Parts: sequence; C-alpha cells; structure tokens
Amino acid sequence: MRGPLKLEVWKMGFVNYLEALKLQEKLVSDRKLCRIPDTLLSLQHPPTYTLGKRRTDHNLLIPESELKNIGAELHYTQRGGDITFHGPHQAILYPIISLREMGLGARNYVEKLESTMIELSSLYGVKACAGKKCETGVWVGERKIGAIGVRISSGITSHGLAFNIDPELEYFKHIVPCGITDKEVTSLRRETSTALPSEEVIQEQLISCFARLFGYNTVVQKENPSILSDHEEIA
Amino acid sequence: MALTLWASSTANALKISCASKPHLSLAFSFSRCFSTVLDGLKYANSHEWVKHEGSVATIGITDHAQDHLGEVVFVELPEPGGSVSQGKGFGAVESVKATSDINSPISGEVVEVNSKLTEAPGLINKSPYEEGWMIKVKPSSPSELESLMGSKEYTKFCEEEDASH
Repeated sequence: MRGPLKLEVWKMGFVNYLEALKLQEKLVSDRKLCRIPDTLLSLQHPPTYTLGKRRTDHNLLIPESELKNIGAELHYTQRGGDITFHGPHQAILYPIISLREMGLGARNYVEKLESTMIELSSLYGVKACAGKKCETGVWVGERKIGAIGVRISSGITSHGLAFNIDPELEYFKHIVPCGITDKEVTSLRRETSTALPSEEVIQEQLISCFARLFGYNTVVQKENPSILSDHEEIA
Repeated sequence: MALTLWASSTANALKISCASKPHLSLAFSFSRCFSTVLDGLKYANSHEWVKHEGSVATIGITDHAQDHLGEVVFVELPEPGGSVSQGKGFGAVESVKATSDINSPISGEVVEVNSKLTEAPGLINKSPYEEGWMIKVKPSSPSELESLMGSKEYTKFCEEEDASH
C-alpha cells in the first residue's frame, strides 16, 4: 500500500540549460536509488534551442553559426519531441518523479502534463486543449501555448513542460516549432484579456496545478536550491 | 476473461481439446487491465519479455508496456555484435513526445536486431510479441532467466501496478 505522496519543489529562477540538464541527471540517479522524494524543478532558461533524441535539426531554419548573433544556444538532448525554444518569460517544470511508484505509463504522464497547463490557462479564462494525435502539447485553437518533451529512464522522468507566459515569440520564427509547420506559437499574454500577475505568481500556480493533478498531498519547498549540491561539485 | 471462456466453450462445442492442437503453441491469460500476457515467455518488472529458444533469446516489450506508452514513433536499437546486461538499457522508444529507455531482461551478445522497426515503429503497438520483437541475444548466463517472472506472476504484477494509480 502506498504511503502519502510527497513532492519537493525547487524554485530555481534563471538557469543555464546545460547546468539544469546535469542537475537533472544527478537527481534522476538519486531518485532511482530512493535517496530523494519526487522532485519538481521550476525555472526559466536564457534563450536556448533544444533538439530531442531524433535529432531533427532540419527543423532549425538558421545556420548554427548564426545562433550566437541572436544570443541563443543549441543543445542536443535525449528527450522525446522535436525542436523547441526556451527563453525568458517561459515557465518550465522538470518533474523528476517515479512513474512506477505512481502506476503511470508514458501516455498517462504526458496527458497529466498537458492537463497541468490546460488548468493553468483556464485560471486566466483561456480555453486550451491537448493536442490531437501526434501533436502532444497544449493548444489554444491552432496556436501552441505549451510544449512537452520528456525522458523516462527506468521509470524515472526528466525534462518536462514549457509554458509560454510571455516569451519573445520572434525566436520561434527560426525553427519549425515541434516539427509542425503552419501552426503558430502563442503565449498567455496574447491569449488572455485578464491582467497578468507577476511571473512568480504564475509559476507558483503552475506548480499547484501540477501537484493537485498528480495527487501529491504534501508539497515542500527545498530551501536554497542550487545547481551544486552540498557535497559535490559539477565536474 | 471473455476470450478464454469463448475459446473453451467453442472447443467443447466442436469436441476439440486445446491440448490436441499442437500448433496452438501460444496460450493466453488475461490480466484485469485486459492487456495480453503470453504463457511460455519470461517477464521483467520493467515490462520486457524474453522468449528463450535453444541458444537464442528474443526480447521485446509487452502488450501492457505498449499500451501505456501510446503510439511508438521512433525506436533506437543497438548494433548486432554489441552486448547487453540484465537490467541495463539497450535502446529506447519514443511515443507521445516521451523517450522511454528499454532495459534488457538478460545479459548476452546481440546477434540480430529487428530492422523493420526503423521504418515501422508501430509494429511494437500492433504486434508486441511477434512482429514487434526488438533484439535477439545469445544469453551469457541462462540462469538469469530463472530470476524473471512467469506469465501468472507478471499478470499479477501488472494488476498491482495499475491499481496503485
């Protein structure tokens, strides 16, 4: 019989993509060994393009050499999904959780991530919905407001979701976002007529939606979360 | 449940016993979650199956696994000649924007890889125990098979796992 479900939240602010990736790898390893509870990283990235395991770099529309000029990095990852952009004013959640302990498969997990963003959108009167078959993500009509790309290793998740609060949408013009042509990218700012509170509030709401949808009854915040753990250095 | 009852009542009506049909080499048992579990295979708790025939073991993922993954759009497999270790990853599948590592239920040398999966990854969903096989391995420690679950154990395992959700 499973005990109470505990989630530890790390509010990390602005984090470089590679550092966040290294942290996730360490946390996945710790979670596999049950050294830590289910953990949720909440953060934003500087302008970064990322590719998934399928390495669909034909969906990057400018030469890699140009990226520095527009102030962006490019990273190849092991997550699912196509090319995407992360940047300031986009709320990111990276859950490092044990799907096996929760009895969830990949499909159910991703559906709950979609629901997390749909619920957050509804707080601002925005009617979002999950993508149709093969279009995982969250849409407002034909416009994409939230993206998902996940890695599952021995039942432990990493990577996660990216929700557009008010990112610089011009950056998306340099890619075929998520490999889907002819569909726009949008943001909460664009879709709502409600005045938006601070991003910190919105990110807190996103965390609450996640915790509720996944059935966590104890949510604790990690004090002073940092890239470097207490005893180790990132090499 | 329904299919097992149908099969046996039909067999009775036709005066056939299942045991007398030797080509019916696969028997089914059902889990409450209605995914198929085959007798005669061994199962890992990470939802891979092994079919040991002579000196070669065929490996794939179960019906329960493919159902929980969703539609598979990409499969990454090792090269023949490589080695696999029990419990360690040997490849990955992508479905619903999630890449899931696939772990090997046994250790050994990869002797064949299902290249059809590159063009038709959906075979894993349509036919997880047959056309969707992933790799064939020469087992290095055949005793590892004894540590795996049989069909009844695996069926119960799936039920328990799904009940915790």
